[in-house]
Amino acid sequence: MLFKYLMAKNEDIPPGTATIYFGFSSIFWFIIGTGLGSFNAAKLAFPDFVTGTELFAFGHMRQVHVLAVILGWISMAFAMTMMYMTPALGNTKLWSEKLGLWTAFLWNVGLSLGLFLLWLGFTSGREYSDLIWPIDLVIMFGVLVPLGINVWMTIAHRRTQGIYITNWFFGACIFMVWVVFLVGQSAELFNLTGLTEGYLTFWFAHNVLGLWITPVAAAIAYYTIPKLTGNPLYSHRIGHLHFWAIIAFYSTPASHHLLSAPLPEWLKSFASVEGVLILIPAIAFVANILLTMKGRWSMFVENVEIKFSVTGVLLAIPLNMQGGFQQTRAINWYVHGTGWIVAHAHLALLGMSSFLEIAAVYFGLQQMLRRKLYSLALANFHYWFVIIGFCIYWISMTIAGLIQGAGKIYEVPYIDVVVAEHPYMIARWIGGTMVFTGNLVWLYNMYMTAVEGTVVPKGRYAHELAYER
Amino acid sequence: MGWKFDNPLYTLSDEEEVKQMISQWESEKHGGLWEGNNRLPYPLTWLIALVILTAFLITMPIWGQRPTAQLYAPMVELMDSPEVQRLTTPEEKIAYLTDRAMEVLEAMDDSRLPGLLDRHPINWLDLQLIAPQIREIAAAGGPYGLESYNVVGDQVVLANFEGSFRPDGLRERVQPWWDLGFTIDLFYVAYFVLAMVIVCKRLPPYTMKPDMSKAT
Repeated sequence: MLFKYLMAKNEDIPPGTATIYFGFSSIFWFIIGTGLGSFNAAKLAFPDFVTGTELFAFGHMRQVHVLAVILGWISMAFAMTMMYMTPALGNTKLWSEKLGLWTAFLWNVGLSLGLFLLWLGFTSGREYSDLIWPIDLVIMFGVLVPLGINVWMTIAHRRTQGIYITNWFFGACIFMVWVVFLVGQSAELFNLTGLTEGYLTFWFAHNVLGLWITPVAAAIAYYTIPKLTGNPLYSHRIGHLHFWAIIAFYSTPASHHLLSAPLPEWLKSFASVEGVLILIPAIAFVANILLTMKGRWSMFVENVEIKFSVTGVLLAIPLNMQGGFQQTRAINWYVHGTGWIVAHAHLALLGMSSFLEIAAVYFGLQQMLRRKLYSLALANFHYWFVIIGFCIYWISMTIAGLIQGAGKIYEVPYIDVVVAEHPYMIARWIGGTMVFTGNLVWLYNMYMTAVEGTVVPKGRYAHELAYER
Repeated sequence: MGWKFDNPLYTLSDEEEVKQMISQWESEKHGGLWEGNNRLPYPLTWLIALVILTAFLITMPIWGQRPTAQLYAPMVELMDSPEVQRLTTPEEKIAYLTDRAMEVLEAMDDSRLPGLLDRHPINWLDLQLIAPQIREIAAAGGPYGLESYNVVGDQVVLANFEGSFRPDGLRERVQPWWDLGFTIDLFYVAYFVLAMVIVCKRLPPYTMKPDMSKAT
């Protein structure tokens, strides 16, 4: 089916095809990413698990897990939402379904190749920018550029005079991720070394989160919450505050990841202040969404998409409280290099961001397939497995991080710290495996929705029919 | 683009501009969605002010203040004294020297110095490495005093800060308390707040609620 449409004329491709392809791809990569996470966690919990094969060593597997989640699950879920939200918000259709399909195709091929090579050991050696430069170029020019062109052209061809806030974020974030990706990879492309390489590596790592993952996830919530509740977005002007505060305060604190490095002191101090000010866009975003929920809080219990969305928004509160303060030197000296940071990173990617994207993928796939969700019970099972699994992971790694911090400060012998952490590593594996299991159920549910879901009548939304038998 | 400035905290747009914006606002929905024109609730406005204040206060003590040779000079002076020689372990020696140095620094005019020493403690081995350099600088009687030299690892070097010209034609090398990060941030945040006030006040006043009943 996909290959047929890849070669078809744009006019002959049914609207929503690119959305559906991206949607299922993202779920598939979520399963790959969380499956690898569960495998890696098992290696930390049970050191004798799968030994003797170099390719299955933690050092080969860890970065494949990270990039499968960031570039596979999260970014493809973003592309999926852009494929249906951008045209919907402009009262128009996607500029090019065919370009969208080709983007999805190249993305899957390029990422598969990149991760396979990474697994084999072909790496730039820089955390989060691990892929080798030929793969970087494929992602830049085969994925991010066509995605940007499609989104911008759709916005340019909109049938509304104004542009809704979600599309501000989509348009701006794609531009910013171009810059972040190209500048971030420049260390490898131009063979930069030393402190410059270190700074550029974490400039990329920080900004791919701050100017891509977090704001696009927020943009999704600006669509899903008003759409599903039927309420207007609480405030256009708070949206301005959120958008511009992201630009001002999220783009500047990269060096707070390197407080112990010999970077100029003014740069680190500047970054540290800006790091706390990340709370400003967070306050604006959370307030705007939670106030939009006014009068519709019962949906938090009843509606699975709202359940995921609001959970994601609520997780933005601890995420930004942690993020704002853990990067100050007073706290960073204790938690730096410990499991606390791992817990925080999962709070951002698996917590806040993923919950918002899961909701959007549920909603978008039902809309584009024009089919009612196959099983609400399985969707609720998915929600509870992911939230409980995530909480087990987050809490256990936070505790493990505090133990590691204490061990570091009080110079406790390393092996004693390892022993003390062991129960939390097992808890981490259990939590991660629950998330993985929930995602397997999700894929089954969405597949069955596509195959056997009740057809949604014209003029109705799939989620409106959730409780109708 | 009609502007007016008679009541800037109410709106910066003239009546025609506001009317046009509200008219457009009320005429279209975006994929069935529309936006309210509510203000940020007062408690959250104060919370943002508190965040800005906190951001500065929580990072204040470490703003780019590197340790200077001046901090360790009292220790260098005493490290060969009989009182220190009588102490047996390096930990005892450095604890004694730190206490004495703190007393000296607290008696000086610059109130930053005790805090700086507190944030930049030194061990006996490192003190032995920098001591000859500090003695040499002090003995040379050059144009710059010990307060103009930074301790970077095991090196004592002239600070790379370049301030105002002194009467002797050389540039000031002592870092002022407001230097590094602090000033940039103050300007950056001030510009941001100003820009956001302009952006928000160019919108129709928050008391005007768009009627979306006729929107399509």
